[in-house]
Order: sequence, then structure tokens, then C-alpha cells
Amino acid sequence: MRIRTAGVVAVLGLALAASGCGGSDDDSSAPATKESAGAAGGKLVIWADDKRTAALKPFAETFGQTNGVTVEVQAVSKDLQTNFVTASQQGSGPDVVVGAHDWIGNLVQNGAIDPVQLAADQKSGFNETAVKAVTFNGQLYGVPYAMENLALIRNTELAPEAPKTIEELVATGKKLKAEKKASEILCLQSGQNGDAYHIYPLYTSAGGYLFGTGANGDYDPKDLGVGKPESIAAFQRIAKLGEKGEGALKRSITPENAIATFTGKKCAYLVSGPWAIADAKKANISYDISPVPGFAGGKEAQPFVGVQAFYVAAKGKNKALAQEFVANYTTKPDLAVALYNAEPRPPALTAALDQVKGSDPDLAKFTEAGKNGQVLPAIPAMAAIWDPFGKAEAAIIGGADPAKTITAAGKTISGQIK
Amino acid sequence: MSTKLSGPRSTRTSGRGPVGSGLPRTVRSHVPITATGLVVKVVLLGLVAGIAIWAAFPLVEAGKWVGLALLAATTAGLFYLYLTPRHIPAKYLLPGTVFLIAFQVFPVLYTASTAFTNFGDGHRGSKDDAIVAIQSSSVQQVPGSTEYTLSVASEGDPVTGPLVFLVTDPATGAVSAGDAGGLRRLDAADVTVAPGGKVTAADGYTVLTFGQASTRSQEITDLVVPTAGGALRSSGLSRAYEGRAIRAYDAGCDCITDRESGRTWTADEKAGSFVAADGERLAQGWKVNVGGENFSRVLTDPNISGPFFGTLLWNFAFATGSTGLTFLLGMAIALALHSPRMRGTNLYRVLLILPYAMPSFAMLLVWRDMFNTDFGLINNLFGLGVDWFGQDWSARATVLLVQLWLGYPYMFLVATGALQAIPRELTEATSVDGASPWQSFRAVTLPLLLVALAPLLIASFAYNFNNINAIWLTTEGGPFPADNPRNGATDLLITYTYRLAFGAQGAEFGTAAAVSIFIFAIVATVSAISFRSTRKQEEVYS
Amino acid sequence: MTTHADAPAVNRNATGRRRHRWLAQVGWRHVVGALAVAFSLFPILFVLSAALNPLGTLSSTALVPTGGVSFENFANLFEDTAFGRWFVNSLLIAGLASLVSIFLSSLAAYAFSRMRFAGRRVGLLTLLLIQMFPQFLAIVAIFLIFTTVTDLWPAIGFNTPWGLFLLYMGGALGVNTWLMKGFFDTLPRELDESATMDGASHAQVFLRIMLPLVAPILAVTALLSFIGTINEFMIANVFLTNTESKTLAVGMFGLVAGERNNNFGMFAAGTLLTAIPTVLVFQLLQRYIVSGLTAGAVKG
Repeated sequence: MRIRTAGVVAVLGLALAASGCGGSDDDSSAPATKESAGAAGGKLVIWADDKRTAALKPFAETFGQTNGVTVEVQAVSKDLQTNFVTASQQGSGPDVVVGAHDWIGNLVQNGAIDPVQLAADQKSGFNETAVKAVTFNGQLYGVPYAMENLALIRNTELAPEAPKTIEELVATGKKLKAEKKASEILCLQSGQNGDAYHIYPLYTSAGGYLFGTGANGDYDPKDLGVGKPESIAAFQRIAKLGEKGEGALKRSITPENAIATFTGKKCAYLVSGPWAIADAKKANISYDISPVPGFAGGKEAQPFVGVQAFYVAAKGKNKALAQEFVANYTTKPDLAVALYNAEPRPPALTAALDQVKGSDPDLAKFTEAGKNGQVLPAIPAMAAIWDPFGKAEAAIIGGADPAKTITAAGKTISGQIK
Repeated sequence: MSTKLSGPRSTRTSGRGPVGSGLPRTVRSHVPITATGLVVKVVLLGLVAGIAIWAAFPLVEAGKWVGLALLAATTAGLFYLYLTPRHIPAKYLLPGTVFLIAFQVFPVLYTASTAFTNFGDGHRGSKDDAIVAIQSSSVQQVPGSTEYTLSVASEGDPVTGPLVFLVTDPATGAVSAGDAGGLRRLDAADVTVAPGGKVTAADGYTVLTFGQASTRSQEITDLVVPTAGGALRSSGLSRAYEGRAIRAYDAGCDCITDRESGRTWTADEKAGSFVAADGERLAQGWKVNVGGENFSRVLTDPNISGPFFGTLLWNFAFATGSTGLTFLLGMAIALALHSPRMRGTNLYRVLLILPYAMPSFAMLLVWRDMFNTDFGLINNLFGLGVDWFGQDWSARATVLLVQLWLGYPYMFLVATGALQAIPRELTEATSVDGASPWQSFRAVTLPLLLVALAPLLIASFAYNFNNINAIWLTTEGGPFPADNPRNGATDLLITYTYRLAFGAQGAEFGTAAAVSIFIFAIVATVSAISFRSTRKQEEVYS
Repeated sequence: MTTHADAPAVNRNATGRRRHRWLAQVGWRHVVGALAVAFSLFPILFVLSAALNPLGTLSSTALVPTGGVSFENFANLFEDTAFGRWFVNSLLIAGLASLVSIFLSSLAAYAFSRMRFAGRRVGLLTLLLIQMFPQFLAIVAIFLIFTTVTDLWPAIGFNTPWGLFLLYMGGALGVNTWLMKGFFDTLPRELDESATMDGASHAQVFLRIMLPLVAPILAVTALLSFIGTINEFMIANVFLTNTESKTLAVGMFGLVAGERNNNFGMFAAGTLLTAIPTVLVFQLLQRYIVSGLTAGAVKG
């Protein structure tokens, strides 16, 4: 018993001693906390994906140094959008986030971003399509910096002429295949579950549409084009290019191997975007870029136009600084040029595009290919399209009945849209 | 190694008085307190107290009294537990359990509770959040109004003094000072204006640098200078514009009114949205309780419940197959390498665990590529043209094969460890009795292996039952029937839930949580039943 | 070396016979081992081929690199990314987490195996069931907890290795406890009972008798837990956003993630390098895994 009491006393004594330590620990960390709180007041946190983080860092630092604030650029490697929304909601999100414009609908419905007020002269410096893309419900929600769209990239050694129609492309591709110069007709990625983004130009050329547009030019989620007769007709034409038809579209061409197959000279044509160019250059392919051709006698093939933009987080801790950064700093051509150098996509700022297009003829070609493109719908309903639409595409390429398949996809999609 | 490491810390309970009732057949003997035991115990408890006090200061500062009470109670509980000679099992269980409760039990309970709400995209926050979001996203520049150049200034101290906006009209160059009271013209003689219009100094005001201003970010955002047409607001730190919120909340009618069109959206507390008379709802909603709605939807919505049983069946097959095959292969190889005459086992072991050492998401992607119809290694190597992922059964077999590759090193390792732990005397004894190797394996090795591994097999089954990556990174649930993109041949319940939760117009966490609870109930029942049968094995020696 | 179970007592033989016997007793084991190694390695060869391929794409047909061999990808990895930092972070977090977690779980496993108390089996089952709740849903709750923690105690909040470590400790009891309990169950009760008779306390029984006996499984668990932590991605991804504070799994995923990335070569190189610490840890623990339960150690 005595020993136990002694033990307790000793423990208490030690605990007190330790707590003294703890206390002094706290004292020493208290100023640090205050300091970091001070820095937090003058700190700007930016979230982006890995590639853009690297590109942004030097500029964010310059912004910080010239203005006497700390800027941190942080990368979220996966599910940036979802994690941004969740973190914002809980109050641990960033002040600025960088992402594709089709996030806007979801970010707005979650109250995660604020509109950006740009002066008229600032706005006019941007490509019109880019401004349209980041405008949602009549408000400008982000500052665009780069645009991207699909184009047809061809190996000029194998196919010197740009095809005018898909039929022409298939004919050339088949000839090359017969001559054993290539093993595939066309590299257009699909995979087992399809790829709505990449098939979209052909879908529009054959007469299909996703959403109708309302009176004000906005997409109308109530007018769903998938499952309508136009979409069935469109997929009937696409089916003819599939595995049971011409063999130009195949499920074995996936996002992972499409570009590699092209750079490996196994196909003469690749439908891809500016991100594929670096690989083509690395592999010493002589290539040229032209718009994605449409079906003979069909409509024009319209690729989606996507825009990368900066957003101001609604629940950021330093909104005034975030607005300053987004509205007054990212609108400068220097930054757009630097981001272009990190990743060659056409800048959304006209002045920046003019600055770089002389040294990079590909940019003008991509812009040309995207001239008639459609802005990727930013409405939340778009999220319901991707998966069922892609799967329907894959099934039809694999030989399933277009009418039945696309009707089912339309039903699934409309069931998901509130 | 492990003893060395865990040694000092685990003596915290050493030598405390009579051994309690925890061990049923022990003799109650008085064990003297060892000096090291006591010292270690005192040091550790002192450390606990120190950490508790370190953690307490921020809690006090933030006024989080509940948190403080919780901290005090936990600390007191720890002290009591390790000072009393009673509750021996708890002394061993508590350290891990504290973490378990904080970082696993709480998240699970929280998630489960969202099953009764409409939590999801568009319904994440509170009603107030939604109102703020609606109002601030409706702020528009007054048409034709002036764009001002802004300098943020304060009256007096830059850190605490009241904030003022010094704005320059670009057309006239006139400078005004604005605060919550409105705009006042400043005499041109009192201010210094830089080219471009920014005020750099003004009598009676301190112009803040960006660094200074950014520490008062919230105040700047909140400062609204009333004007005739609307209000002057800041856009960053160097521009101000005249804007007004088109939409405003009216507490009287509990509705949002659009000042331009006159439309109103009334709050619907059941749906957590503002809804107009014609049924149009505003995108920004809030989280509300919906009771059992998510659950009844799971049961009644044919989209969810229709393919449920087919999927469940495959899910069982997948989990059993993954666990069983990896176990069989892992054990077979472990047995093959388990021989004292075997040379080079170290090398074998290192090479065999490599699949487990590689990041699994990367290897899943590599495997998916190897099974590609036209470009994949498998078809090219064997000259086949099989559309592996295109047909139901080949896709299922492929998924299982990939699982086997990823998982068998684990079973191999565990079985190797288990085999080492089986006393060699036992197997030798049977062989002396003339039993064949197979008989001795059946009679001695296997039962002992199962004692050690049965709990693990159950755990592995449970893990694979919900193994979302194995499916999501290979087949994504496919192949899908042409007329049903919702449910594929290799879909597990979890991938199916994932698609339900994130495939719609934004994430629906509430529904996903409800489906998860159903799955949870099923797995729990199965595991509980198979767990009962381990009771016998557990008593092998007692 | 003890004679193996099926070694016949008497043999008088020609070399041919001996070779035959060798084949029957040991040779087939090598055949099995070689086949298993082949099965294990061929997808990895694929990764190796991609890592050495200067074009850095996933070459989908070749096991051996066709576009020439270069170490460019490895060099780029260290030049263009914070790979070194990620590596160190991962080693520290995984090392610490696996050590502490095997300690916590061995404590629990000892209690579950050797003591009888109310709620024992329910507790075990609960441990298992908690692991089954889908993690992608729990992310929201983790944000909730750590937003508060970061506000109060920034030293253990987001972007700190300590916060992540604490979070991982939440899973320490999980599967590991089950694994170890199974092994504690195989140890004869008489061992600890006789020790208790001799006057050892429960802590002494645990430390001096039980732990040395389960050394193989402690080593196995430590390795599994090390691998598990080093490959953990989902939580680390939301927890660590600072480039400098990332772990290998998160940093490397960033190389192939993003939309349509073409860093596969660098990624493959990184994947191979990631496997190195695991192999080293395995080498380190191998001794314990195989030393096992020898007759001498059983003395209570």
C-alpha cells in the first residue's frame, strides 16, 4: 500500500514536472503560433494539379515578394475538385483554385467560388469563347488562362494530306494498313467504357447533340439530346466505323495507349489535343495538325472547347488578396506566357497568344481546329452525361444495336438529372 | 527487434500488485514492483500529463470547454487505468483504442449519420451558407457605373484603425474616401496620386501596403460603401466597382427575391432548397434531415435494387475467390520453400514479395494494359485475340487473376511466418509414426496454419468484399450490357455505390452512405457467422 | 540442421539415385519457386522496360525496351520533382507508423488472445467491421476532424507528418490485431501459465515470453504495415498538399494523374525506386521471419 502511495506521489510530481516542461514548450511555441497566424493573414494559398503547380510556383513567388505576402502553391494530385469543395466547406480550403471551366456549375451549387469582377477592358483582352466558358448564370466565375480542344494530328510521312472527311481518312488508313505501313486506321481513344470527350466531334458531325440551348444561349438540362432520334442516327453512322464495320474505331485503343501507338508509328492519324504534341516531338514524328474531319455530307465536326481558369474560393481566409491575385495579376500576359511555356496550350489571353504564336505554329492550328468547337457545358447536369454516354459509345463500337443502346443511355442520364 | 523496441514502453503496467481476474487460471501471487517498471510507468504517465497540458492551452484560448472537458476526462481515465491494479485487459487495449475511436469510429459514425440527410453536392452546408452563397454570387456591377482605382487605407494605426477605401475616378482623377458611412470627396491637395490613379498618400489616412492590407482581408471584403446606385465594393486590393446584389434573402417570407425580375424562391425545409412557384429551384441548397428516405429509395428504386442480388452474388464470389486463391497459392509456395534443405530461399522470398512492394494502383493499370485485345502482352504472347474485358466471364476471370497476383505475396509471407512458428517436433513426430508428407500436412500443419490464419482469412474476405480499387482501376465494373450502363458484370456493390454516389449531378453522399449501411449489414452478418466458427479453433490449446 | 520429415533413414546409393532423390525432395521446390518468381516478375519487367524507355510511354507490347535504354527517366525524377523529399518523408512516416502500430496491435492481440473479458469477441468483430466502411465516404469526416485540429494544434494538423501519423494509428488495431491474435492463439497456454506460477507479472509474460515467440509474425506484420503505409494514397492525398511534405504514393500519383499525363517513364522509374526500401526492410526482417520458433526458445 505504501509503495503504491509513493508511486502515486512520484507520478504526480513527475507529471507536474512534465507539465512544467509542457508549459514552457507551449510558451516557446506560442510566439511561433502567433507568427504563423500573422503570416496566415498575409498568406495566399493556391491549389492546383501537379503540372500547374510547378508552372505557377515562380510566379506566385514573384507576386508574394513584390507585395510582401507569402504565397503557397499546393498540389492535390487526385480529385482536386471534390477535395476543394469538401475542404472549403469545412474551412480548410485554399484561397485560389485552378481548374477546368466545367467545374463551375458544381462549384457554384456548393457555394465554393465567388464571381470575379473584371473591368470591361480586362475582359476584352480575352478570347471570346474563353470568356463565354467561364460565364455561368450571367456571372463571370473565373479568369481563363488556357484553352484546349481536339484536333486531328497526322503523321505526314504516312499521310501527307489532311483528310477532308472521315471516309477519306478511313480510305487512306486502310490503304496504309494493307501496305503494312500502319497497323491501325485511326487512333481515337475509347477503351472498354468509351470516351465521350473524344467521340464528340464525330457525334456532332453525324447530327447528335447533348443539350439544347435556351433563349439566353445557356445549355438547358431539360432538353437532353441523348436518346433522341438525332442521336440514334448519329450513332448508326459511328457504328459503321466500329469493330464490326470499318474497324477504324476500336475499344482496344485506350487513353493509355492512343498517343503511344501514334508515336510508335502504328497509326497515321491521332485525334488528340495539345498535350499530345510533346510526345510527338520527343518521338521525332513529322506531324501536322488539322481540324477533326466530319462525315461526308454531314455537319461540321465540333470538338469540345475546354478552358483552364483561376477561381476565387468563397470561403478562403484571404479573399481580398485572392481577388487581387486572380483579377489583377493572372490577367497579365506574362503569366499566361509562362504557363504556356510550362505546358503548351493556347493562352486565353489574346495578347499572350500573339506573343507566342510566332514561335509555335501548332497553336494557330489548334485554335483553328477549335474555331467551331462547342464550349464544354459547365452545368452540373453534364456530370451525368460522361459515364453512360461513354459506355454507350463503347458498346456500339463493339457492335451493339445503336438504337437500343443509346435509348437506354438517354434514360439513365435523364434519371440522374434533377 | 520488436521486443527491443516495445520493451521500455510496455513495462508501463509491469509489476502492479496482484494479477487481476483477467487470467482465469493464474495463481494469485504478489509480484514485487520492479524499479524499472515503476520508473517507466512514471515517465510515461508524466508524458501523458505533459501532452495533455500542451493540448489544453489552445483549447482554453479558443474557449472550447467541451473539448477541454473531454481532454481532462481522457487524461484522468488514463491515469486511473494505469494506476489501478484492476482492468488488466483494458491496459492492453486502450492505447490502440484511443486512436481507433478518434480516427475510425468517429468518421464511421459521422458518415453513417449522413445517411439520414440529403448531404451531397448542392446540399453540403447550412441554410445560412446557402443564403450567403446566393447573395454573393448575384452581385453584379451596376451597368454604366464607374470603375475606380482603389487604395486601402486606415485611419490611424494600420493594424487596428478603421478601414477606408481611397478611390480614384479614372475619368476625372477625383479622389474620394469611402467607409460604411458613404463616399466623401477629398481635396486634391491632400492626396498624392501615382500615375495609374493609385493613391499613395493622403492626409489623415495611412495607406496600407498589400502585406498590411492582406492581414485584414476579411474586413476589406466586408466593407461596403453605400452609393446611390448600389454600393462600392473592393475587387482585390487595387480596384473598386459599384455593384449590387440582385438577389436578397427576406426573413419575413423566408424567401429569396430577385430584384430585377421580381421572382421569388421560397425555402423548402424538406428538400433543403429555395423553390419557385413553378418548381424551379436554386442550385445552392443546404443540408437537411430526410429521415429514412435514402433507405427507402435503396429498397424501392428499381435502378438501385434491381441489379442488387446479381451483384451481391458476384461480390461474394469475388471476395471468396480473391481470398481463397491467394491463400492457396501463397500457402502452396510457402510450403514448397519451407524446407531446411532448400537453398536460396532468401532470394526467392525477396523476389516473391516484389508484387506486393510495388504501388498497387500502378500495377493494376499495367495489368489492364497487358490484357488489351490488340496491343496487350497476353494476346500477343500467346497469339490470341481474346477480348478479355469485353465478355462477362473472361473479365471476371481476369479480375481474379490480377487479384491473385497482387495478393498472393501477402499470403505467402504470412504463411511463411506461420510455418516457422509451428514447432518442428510436431511434424517430425507424425513422420516417425509413418505418416506420408500429405497426411502429416493434413493432420498437423494445416490445422495449425488455420488457427493462425483463419481470422486473417476472414479479414481478407472483408477487405476484398469492398475492394474498390481492384475493380475501378481495371474494368470499372464492365463489361456493361448494351442497354444498361448502370451495372456491369464485374461490378461490386461498392463500385456500384460509387457510381451511384458520384455519377449523378454531383456527389450524393447521403444515398451512398445509406447503400453502404446496407452493404455493411450484409458483410457484418456473414463475417459474424463465420467468426462464430473460429471459436472452436481458438481453443485449440486450452 | 534437423533431418526433414520425409528423409528415409537408410540410403546407400549411386549418384543418379541421389540426383533423383534431390529432385524429389528439393528440386521440385526450386521449380515451384522459379515458376512463382516468373509469375511475380513479368509485369514488373514491363515497368522496368518503361522506366528505361527514354520515350517514357507505356510500351504496350514489349517486355524489353525497344527504343533504346537510358536512365533519363531516373535523372528527371530527381531533377524535376521533389522525389528525394518524398522518399525521406515516406520512409519516416512508414517506418514510425509500422513500429508503433505493431506495438499497439500486439498489445491488443495479447489481451484478445490470453485474457477473457466481457465484450471480447464483440470487440474483435467490431475491429473487423469498422475496417469495412468505405473510406471514400470517411474523407469528409477526416476533413471535419483535422480542420479543428489544424486550427488548435497546427503542429499536428494538415500538411504535417505527425497528423498523418496519428491518423494512421487509427487503423493500427485493424487487421494487424487479427493477424497477431491468430498467432498468439497457436502458442501453448502452458507457457505463460507456468511463467505466471513462477511469479511473473502479466507485463513480464507479454514482454519476455510472448513477444519473442511471435517474432516472426511481428516481423511479417511490421513489413505488411510498412508496405501498407508507404502505398497508402487516399488519405495522404487529401492530407498532404505541400509539395515538400508529400509521400511517395501521393507525389508519384501526381506524375501520372492530372489529365492525360505522359510521365509514365518517370513514374515507372519511381515505382521501381519505391520498391527498394521495402526490399531492404524485408531483408532486415528476414532473419526474424525465418528464425522462428526454435526448440531452444520455447523454454518458459
